[in-house]
Amino acid sequence: MMTSLNSRGETSNFDILIVGGGLVGCASAWHLARLGLKVLVAERGHLNSGASGQNAGSLHFQIERRFLEQGEKAAADGARIVTLNRLAIEEWRGIEHMLGRPLDVAMHGGLMVAETEEQMALLAFKVARENELGLSTQVLDSAQLRERAPSLSPHLAGAAWLADEGHANPRILVDAFAEGAVEQGAQIRTGTALTGLSMARDGTYRAVLSGPDGELRVNTPRVLLASGHWTARLAGLLGLNVPLYAAPLMMSVTDRTEPVLPYLVQHVGARLSMKQTEDGNLLIGGGWPSRLVRRADGTPDLDRPATVEMKNLRANLAVAARVLPGLAQRSLLRTWTGTTCISADQLPIVGEIPAAPGLFVAAGGSLFTLGPVLARLLARTIAEGSPPEELSMFLPRRFAHLDAFAVLP
Amino acid sequence: MTVFDIAIVGGGPAGLAAAERTLAAGLSTCVIDEQQRPGGQILRQPPAGFSVPGWLSGAPYRKGRALLDKVSDDAKLNWLGGHSVLGITPDPAGEAGFTLALSGTMGGVSEVQAKRVLVAGGCYDMPVALPGWTLPGVMSAGAVQTMVKAQQVLPGQRVVLFGTHPLMIVLAQQIIEAGGQVEAVCFAQSFAQMAKAALAHLPRAITMPAPLIAAAGGMAVLRRAGVQVRYGAPVLRSEGEGLGGVEQVVIAGPKGEEAIACDLAAMCYGFLPQADLVRQVGAGVRWSNPAGGWEAVHDDAMRSTVPGLYVAGETTGVAGSDAAMAEGAIAGLAIAQDAGVLTARDASAAMRGPRSARKAMQGFIDLLRAVGDPRPWLPAASAETLLCRCEDIPAGAVDKAIADALAVGPSFGASAIKLRCRAGMGLCQGRSCEHAVIRRIAAARSCAEEEVDGFRPRFPARSLAIADLLDDAG
Repeated sequence: MMTSLNSRGETSNFDILIVGGGLVGCASAWHLARLGLKVLVAERGHLNSGASGQNAGSLHFQIERRFLEQGEKAAADGARIVTLNRLAIEEWRGIEHMLGRPLDVAMHGGLMVAETEEQMALLAFKVARENELGLSTQVLDSAQLRERAPSLSPHLAGAAWLADEGHANPRILVDAFAEGAVEQGAQIRTGTALTGLSMARDGTYRAVLSGPDGELRVNTPRVLLASGHWTARLAGLLGLNVPLYAAPLMMSVTDRTEPVLPYLVQHVGARLSMKQTEDGNLLIGGGWPSRLVRRADGTPDLDRPATVEMKNLRANLAVAARVLPGLAQRSLLRTWTGTTCISADQLPIVGEIPAAPGLFVAAGGSLFTLGPVLARLLARTIAEGSPPEELSMFLPRRFAHLDAFAVLP
Repeated sequence: MTVFDIAIVGGGPAGLAAAERTLAAGLSTCVIDEQQRPGGQILRQPPAGFSVPGWLSGAPYRKGRALLDKVSDDAKLNWLGGHSVLGITPDPAGEAGFTLALSGTMGGVSEVQAKRVLVAGGCYDMPVALPGWTLPGVMSAGAVQTMVKAQQVLPGQRVVLFGTHPLMIVLAQQIIEAGGQVEAVCFAQSFAQMAKAALAHLPRAITMPAPLIAAAGGMAVLRRAGVQVRYGAPVLRSEGEGLGGVEQVVIAGPKGEEAIACDLAAMCYGFLPQADLVRQVGAGVRWSNPAGGWEAVHDDAMRSTVPGLYVAGETTGVAGSDAAMAEGAIAGLAIAQDAGVLTARDASAAMRGPRSARKAMQGFIDLLRAVGDPRPWLPAASAETLLCRCEDIPAGAVDKAIADALAVGPSFGASAIKLRCRAGMGLCQGRSCEHAVIRRIAAARSCAEEEVDGFRPRFPARSLAIADLLDDAG
């Protein structure tokens, strides 16, 4: 598609500008292009070069440990996400068919293990809550766990089992959505950053994109910021506050080995996610922080890759080796860092910003597992003009008070 | 933890020359090297228990050996041999400046802190994927040289050397001296092409006649030993049956394909700068010509683009050990100056010698680069030839990934291709195939290699046993 420019060097060709060529951006582009919208995606780096390609590819649907460790209130909030998780399970079951290609989706089940009786009690509490909400997790005792996963340590007290969990390949998913979106007529510009954003009097947006061919000015009725932890900064171009905070994490991968672990493994009492890829590598993560590079004045530099924090790497591997003793015999190939973000209430922020009609955001953690389904719901929101019920708890309106002092035309 | 004034990564000519200056300036200095003993690749020492009469006694090694003896005997030097640097973490806001994570050949992972770091990591042989290159007995020239110099072992008896780099002459001589038989030295380029390239640079190179005389001497040795040195003889593939290893190489001779029997084929198309640590820290690099790879950029006192991080020697572009010694000396002086123990005036005066020596070498370096330029002569991989031999990814799969990426848009780098097809994901961390992946992307995008982003450099720079990280976890 050629971009036609008016005499002021502006284009008004697009129904929506999507900022961010990650999972949510490209999946939304795919859905919206199929719905007939003219879509422009601007990605300042390469496609999939942010958190979408750097996360560990877990498909986790049990209530996450991060909700359980913050007391009962957070646990109750976390439980509400289960409804969305159930939709996400359906989404992942159909995604390879939907995109017409293999994506290394393996949903052979997932275990959240416990090492102590106290942790077992927490699992029981969690499973009861999940069952009420229609998620069919079940508690395995030590013997049952041993039977299901003989490679795991015999010292584990038990686990919560969910047959739908697993993993997919973050290296190839975004490309599949991007290629599909381009086939549907979407335009994708990589190496192209959003450097200016303002709202005109008529409520449309004026965006300035800086790319390899210079500046492109885009007038568009809608903008979607699907830019990971940069979303907060980009919303700031309009003076808006989206409460998202950078969370620099790290993941590690071992050399390839014979199949030893068909399941996703998490831990209810420690930060751990572990799985074996189709190719045989063991992937280890679980939310251990890496370190943001600080400038000489001490402020974090979000544009540089975070660095590996040795003590956290050691701790991450120690937990992993406690759960999977054979890990000690493997080699560490690579530890990489990626920066995801977390919202003020730990739930994703997805939908239209009340103070700025036509401006949408989608960010806030767990967006590999939830990205495809959220992109679908977001596309429906945009096409239909109002959000479906399933999105209600994730809408930005819960933070509308933060924009009480925003100045827009 | 002790905080060194300066940590030097690499105990070769550049690192030792820098250490000589930082020690003289009174700075606490540690030198970290993967080898147990100092010297680097050029002066790779046999293990301490070996007795090797006449070890590297030739004239080209004399200056380096004097430096090696002087610095090794300095009691103030903290020598950390047998250690790989896994990563360098800068912390500009912290007191130490840098933390280096090390893994030891004896196991375990430790950390060293330093206010400043010099990376003088040297270079490594450029592996070139041609059909049959993964057969046992097909090696890099540097690997053969390492075995001869340090282990006193010849990995084959009937040797063919092939490629474009004049180092083949030196290596052939060393193989003959070690009792091996050199069946042929095959330069891909013609003699006329080499001569033309040489002549263009000769007027400046002749000011440093010693290397030219040494090269002529090497040729004489080969002539006396009856070794055939072939020009215009590009190797197309190596062949061998089953697991027995290489049995012959096939060259494109004047009368068509021609096979030369051998049990060892050593390739020598040039060297890639060792700059993964520099890239990991985020310091500036540029594509290195003519052979390729990334070389660290620096100012006229060897400061990288990251404050407190210095670079010297082949890490900044492959130029030989004499250039590395000069650059190391300049870096050592700059470090002393920046640490406040040498005035700018004294540093500048002391740099004059090594700077003018380094400048005088440039003519010969340019000549060597022009003569050995591998770019027109890199053999073609077939679609089945493994480009990434850690992950078993053939060239055809890499090309497919590049074509798929191009369908979305022209702006993508080597990491995007790695994510799509796993090339560069294995044990060598992409050191072997990165240059080949970049060349293929550049060709597909019709751009210069310089414009293609390389693999994102990751921790650890060398893979290690997970048990090593668990032992000290406490």
